[in-house]
Amino acid sequence: MSRLQLHDLQLARGGQTVLEHLDGRFMDGAITALIGANGSGKSTLISAIMGMLTPVAGSVESRVPRERCAWLPQQLALDLTFPMSVEELIMTGTWPSHGGLKGYCGPHYRRGREIMARLGISHLAHRPLGELSGGQRQRALLGRTLMQEAELLLLDEPFANVDIETVDVLMEVLRDMARQGATIIVVLHDMEQLSRLADDVLFLAGGHGRWVSPDSLLDRYAGQPPRAPRLPLTFPDASHAGNA
Amino acid sequence: MLAMLEALLLAPFDYGFMQRALVAGLALSLAAPPLGVFLMLRGMSLIGDAMAHAILPGVALGFLAAGFSLPIMSLGGILSGLLVAVLAGSVSQMTGHREDSAMASFFLISLAAGVMLVSLGGSSVDLTHVLFGSILAVDTTALVLIAGISSLIVVILAVIFRALVVECLDPLFLRGQGVRGGVVHGIFLGLVVLNLTAGFQTLGTLMAVGLMMLPATTARFWSHRLEGLIAIAIGIALVASTGGLLLSYHLSLPSGPAIILLAGSGYVLSALFGRHHSLTARWRRHAAPLGTPEHD
Repeated sequence: MSRLQLHDLQLARGGQTVLEHLDGRFMDGAITALIGANGSGKSTLISAIMGMLTPVAGSVESRVPRERCAWLPQQLALDLTFPMSVEELIMTGTWPSHGGLKGYCGPHYRRGREIMARLGISHLAHRPLGELSGGQRQRALLGRTLMQEAELLLLDEPFANVDIETVDVLMEVLRDMARQGATIIVVLHDMEQLSRLADDVLFLAGGHGRWVSPDSLLDRYAGQPPRAPRLPLTFPDASHAGNA
Repeated sequence: MLAMLEALLLAPFDYGFMQRALVAGLALSLAAPPLGVFLMLRGMSLIGDAMAHAILPGVALGFLAAGFSLPIMSLGGILSGLLVAVLAGSVSQMTGHREDSAMASFFLISLAAGVMLVSLGGSSVDLTHVLFGSILAVDTTALVLIAGISSLIVVILAVIFRALVVECLDPLFLRGQGVRGGVVHGIFLGLVVLNLTAGFQTLGTLMAVGLMMLPATTARFWSHRLEGLIAIAIGIALVASTGGLLLSYHLSLPSGPAIILLAGSGYVLSALFGRHHSLTARWRRHAAPLGTPEHD
């Protein structure tokens, strides 16, 4: 099943065509990786799927209600000087189900605490957003989409500037959301992350898109030199973990 | 001792004009500071000033048409304020200029037009009155108008509160929920205009901005939280308007400037001694050791 389909889509930025003849369907309950070089049209495609860019031709057919679509942009549009805590940010995710007028009640706060525990940010509940690290901010934003019960989730390079522990947590949560039926589209640049996360791949290049299987990509790139070993995050002799 | 305190703090309010002035000041102090907090957080602290100039031509036209009638002058002020806000917004959208430059152009035009209109129709005394207000001349009609507008502002602000917060923080999320950020922004600017119109009788078009912005900018030195900012700003405004009235009564000072200067001295003191970002807070350098529980 697919609630999100592209029909002969042509997209342009500033009068210049970026992508054309784009067809295909994003599978429900699956994570689709969107890959391609910088400028290949990944962000443009995401804008079009979010309904913020009108196609020049063709169409994006989405049967996901608009308020259940969530987007984690790459260049955060968040005003981080705004005095809001992690918990308050996550609570704004109740908007689709609860509306923008009514106060939050007990079950909302309980759900909020569950989400923060799931993402390992319970201790940051009352921390202002401006004091968060990149990884903590990404966890908090994903927390909002969990509260939103997003059915379509678009993430633009969610793992950039994020430590591996956060990557693990985020991937696990995304995997869970997909298992529960959400359609997830992730812009990725990293082969290792792709191999761990993607069920399907839409490869953009030269203004066109091609659907490929993650395995075929992995096969092609197998035999390349292994990636540099990861840097450690804790002291090797530490008996207690430092503040993550 | 008690008698002296009573003479200082309570006796002045035996007079009807002082009672009305106090109620007007307190009503404005409840409505204006939350607007100021949002203006400040949106990086629009000077927009209040621009809007204050923008209501002037309308007030002047009302004055020319109906003499010193507060409802007519207020209506004129609201209309011209909204007109300038809409014009500035659409000029910036159509030309791609930033909204603040369009706003700056329009408020200068408005100020000149307003002063011209007042001078054509009245004396310089009228001009002073419009520009700087006179809280001690608030009559019952004016009081009802001020209290009504203030209540309306508080209610509407409560309704759009969450949308306003989300729009400040993450406009794209709000858009995803099917709420157009521009609508929320427009309603908010409308509230600013309403508030300034309510304030011009008591404080004058220029001073009315003071009761909106000074408590907000002062609160920034005391709280990191939105609720805290709003509560502290309202508290400061309430103290400043009551204290300013008493000062003006006892020392025969003009009431509007006394209120704003009192709020202003609060700002200076907070910049020196406040809890966050103040001069002394910079000297107090200490941090809780690792592993201690979070608190704020």
